[in-house]
Amino acid sequence: MSTLVNIQQASRTIKSGGNSINLLDSIDLKVNEGDFISLMGPSGSGKSTLLNCIGMLDNFTEGNYTFLDEPVHKMKEKNRVKLYQEYIGFVFQAYHLIDELTVEENIETPLLYKNVKSKERKALVADMLDRFNIVGKKKLFPEQLSGGQQQLVGIARALVATPKLILADEPTGNLNSKQSQEIMELFAKLNNEGVTIIQATHSEENASYGSRIVNLLDGSIVKS
Amino acid sequence: MFKNYIKISFRNLWKNRTLSLLNLIGLSIGISSVLTLLFSVYAYYIADEPIPNKDQIIYLKTVLKNGDDYNEAPYPMMEKVLSTIPSIEAGTHMHSWGNIWLENDGENFQHRTDYVDSEFFTVFDLPLKYGNSATALNQKNSIILTDKVSQQIYGDINPVGKTLIGADSLNLRVTGVLESISPYSSLRLGVVLPNTLLENNASFQKQNNWGNSFSPVYFKINPDVDTSTLKIQIEALVQEHYTDPTVIDRMEIIPFTELRTDAIPVVDIIISSSIVASFFILLIILVNLLNLNTSTMLSRTKTIAIRKVLGSSKKSVIFQYLTENGMLVMISILVSAILFLGINLPRLNDTFGPEFGRISFDITRDYPVVIGIVIVGVLSTIMVSIFPSLRFIKIPVTLGIKGKINQVKSNFLLRNSFIILQFSIAILCICVSIILNRQISYMKNADLGFDRTNVLVGNIDLDYENIDVAKSKFNALLNDLEASPYVKSVATSQSIPSDYNFNYSPYYDPEKSLDVRMRRSYADHNYFNSLQVPIIEGRNFDRNLDQPDEYPVIINEAAMRAFGWNSIKGKRLKFKGSNFVGMPIIGLVKDFHYQDLQNRIEPLVHIYREKEALANHRFLTVSVVEGQEAYVENLITTAFESILSRKRYVQERLTDKVSGQYRLIEGILQSVNITAILAIFISCLGLFGLISFTVKRKVKEIGVRKVLGASISRIVILLSKDYIILVGIAAIVAFPLAGYLMNSWLNSFAFSISIQWWMFALAGIIALIITSFTLGIRVVRAAIANPVHSLKTE
Repeated sequence: MSTLVNIQQASRTIKSGGNSINLLDSIDLKVNEGDFISLMGPSGSGKSTLLNCIGMLDNFTEGNYTFLDEPVHKMKEKNRVKLYQEYIGFVFQAYHLIDELTVEENIETPLLYKNVKSKERKALVADMLDRFNIVGKKKLFPEQLSGGQQQLVGIARALVATPKLILADEPTGNLNSKQSQEIMELFAKLNNEGVTIIQATHSEENASYGSRIVNLLDGSIVKS
Repeated sequence: MFKNYIKISFRNLWKNRTLSLLNLIGLSIGISSVLTLLFSVYAYYIADEPIPNKDQIIYLKTVLKNGDDYNEAPYPMMEKVLSTIPSIEAGTHMHSWGNIWLENDGENFQHRTDYVDSEFFTVFDLPLKYGNSATALNQKNSIILTDKVSQQIYGDINPVGKTLIGADSLNLRVTGVLESISPYSSLRLGVVLPNTLLENNASFQKQNNWGNSFSPVYFKINPDVDTSTLKIQIEALVQEHYTDPTVIDRMEIIPFTELRTDAIPVVDIIISSSIVASFFILLIILVNLLNLNTSTMLSRTKTIAIRKVLGSSKKSVIFQYLTENGMLVMISILVSAILFLGINLPRLNDTFGPEFGRISFDITRDYPVVIGIVIVGVLSTIMVSIFPSLRFIKIPVTLGIKGKINQVKSNFLLRNSFIILQFSIAILCICVSIILNRQISYMKNADLGFDRTNVLVGNIDLDYENIDVAKSKFNALLNDLEASPYVKSVATSQSIPSDYNFNYSPYYDPEKSLDVRMRRSYADHNYFNSLQVPIIEGRNFDRNLDQPDEYPVIINEAAMRAFGWNSIKGKRLKFKGSNFVGMPIIGLVKDFHYQDLQNRIEPLVHIYREKEALANHRFLTVSVVEGQEAYVENLITTAFESILSRKRYVQERLTDKVSGQYRLIEGILQSVNITAILAIFISCLGLFGLISFTVKRKVKEIGVRKVLGASISRIVILLSKDYIILVGIAAIVAFPLAGYLMNSWLNSFAFSISIQWWMFALAGIIALIITSFTLGIRVVRAAIANPVHSLKTE
């Protein structure tokens, strides 16, 4: 199985006032295709920061990071955008749907940015709506949906561009237990279909859906 | 993709509909006024376009030793110039000699009449709608009409070859119709006649000599000619031929393109202030849009971050934003075009039309204005979109997505400077408006040195069909008026205050060998009584003592000062180099404002002419017992109805006539007022948008403060304090500027008010009240809201 993400001795340090703070410290992490990894740890341990760095929304300040054997840390911003457009999908705790867009349009947006042709876009979006059973809601706006439904749309949107990697930051944090369960079962199913998933979570139960758990404390990986 | 941009733009505009509406209103009104101002400037600049080779046309300006100047030269001058100076290619007079009456099928018409020479079309190669310009002026009895006149007389047909009866006796054949000319053109023509027609006229022959400068003359010059040489050649002709070349200081050669500003200097002021005003208004709307955009950007950072996560490039974020603003601006341009055509242009014509002529919009000719405004729109869109989006695009995704925008310090300094700029302009306009208003009301209400209340004036220069019948009926009317118990005094005169001719003539004092140029008018023995202008030395005209053929005169104080006399006793007005014994000065009249207060009281002489000399007088002045004006008016108009004349008798109150002198400047005031209202209105729209956002952002803070016991007034003060301070600073910036500006303008008035501190204070207070009101609408609502609700929203 090929390596998707390879992080070696990577740190992220920021300056706040006169002090430098280590948000991430000497992280070593290897993610293979087909993994379902849960990042766990208390608030402020660096779960989100690590996810952001893997997702290329943030940068490691030190160390090496290769994605599909491409050295991300040496890349220019433009190429990096291209890379994650192609391979990465995000799912957020607060869903982060675009309020002005309907369900259908929200799902369509990543395809727009990838310059997918209109006909193909329509087909892909229709597939997603079907797959997640939300065809009837495609004309609704996010505020008209429940939290669970919004997160479904969020996942559909993350998946529509067929990424290799899904990064989910507390995907069930705003949901009740029944909705949580549904979402996690969906993740497990996606993982079975071959999608690599990295999720940050507080919940042991959610973590149990995954294949591997990485514990973080104060920016470092706790050896288990 | 583009369709998508437009769809999202619509949704965004709808989502922020209050703001969009504020922006739309501000933009539409602003752009429509910019459009109006620029269109009138444009109309003015293109007005002379139809005149080919206008850069090659010059005219002569005579400058006298005493500094006065005029655009006329003696009639024989042109021939001499043409025959002696080879660098001059062609020349024509263009002068009036009374407007000719024209008759067609029993209908009478009178239009501005200009007499020109055979080379007229060589100098002014104006396009003809009908006829041939090469031959149009060949015949003595030709007449050329402007399109407008032709339409009025003949309607929509080609009138070339038709005959009009001129001045009851001449058969004039129409030989040409000029293409329509803009009312802003330097050439304000009606009908054009050849000078050959005039040269037989006896009174014209009397004036046609080297001692009389009455005819403007235009030349077409070789483009390579050296004008300084030309000037010397022309001055040599002056020295050689003029009856009295000593009064002439110099002859100037003025390009025809400067004629308009030369004739009406105020045009320059109007044009430049229009441009400045458009610039100000545009600046204010742009600042508004920029400020409002910046504030909506705050709430947009999250969407931008999500889009970036989904793979959006920076370019596409900016493009979305451009589309949205572009749509807003273009819709506003459409609305403003409707406002412009439906409201502004008609109003502009009502205000300035009487003075400068009415203008109309014609897309086939005026499309550059449309292109211009669209370019302005596009540039504005780019400006107001790029700046805010460039700043917010820089916010890191990880912060933006959490809505943590407090870490990105909004650039308050820039925003505040913009607000100060806007309100400075607004307050400046209010100051100008207040001061100008005071000046006009001062000029209208000032003691003018004569009584204008209950005084009726009528123009009696009516082209009577039978002057003898008219005279006897007029005398009967005069008797009736004098017998009426409601009439205090009746006078006839050549001029009345506000309507004196600019007929400067030099008078000579041999003892001091001093020349004084004075304006003159004829008046009867009752003129000064009717206006209640006091005689301070000597006596008034007296019909029993004075004989018109002895030319007794009354001068004003300014004239006496100009001669440097202490008394008029034994003085006479003489002419230099003349054997004439002189006109005896029998009285000295107190200075009165016979022209508007923009001008000094210049030396003036009234020459006695008996009341009944209908042909010498232009005005009938009747001083009426208060409350009886209607009765007397009726008496006079009925009498004139029975006198056959070509013109209709028109009667006015002297008060109105005097106030009418300020019509142009009142038009300017009106424009300033509109600019001021616009400036403050649009600025307040912006402020309203900003405060709405502040309030929205601070809902929670307000709630917490109220829970902690803050009173409503404290919260109102908290929210509006900053803006009020900004308006205060704007006032401090605007006051000295307004003071300086108005001081230099008021200096151009011979009689002006002095600027007082309360005028500034008033402007400041007006601005503050409007601002407080604007803020109040929004802030008070937020302050009285129940904190329970606002705290729940998080």
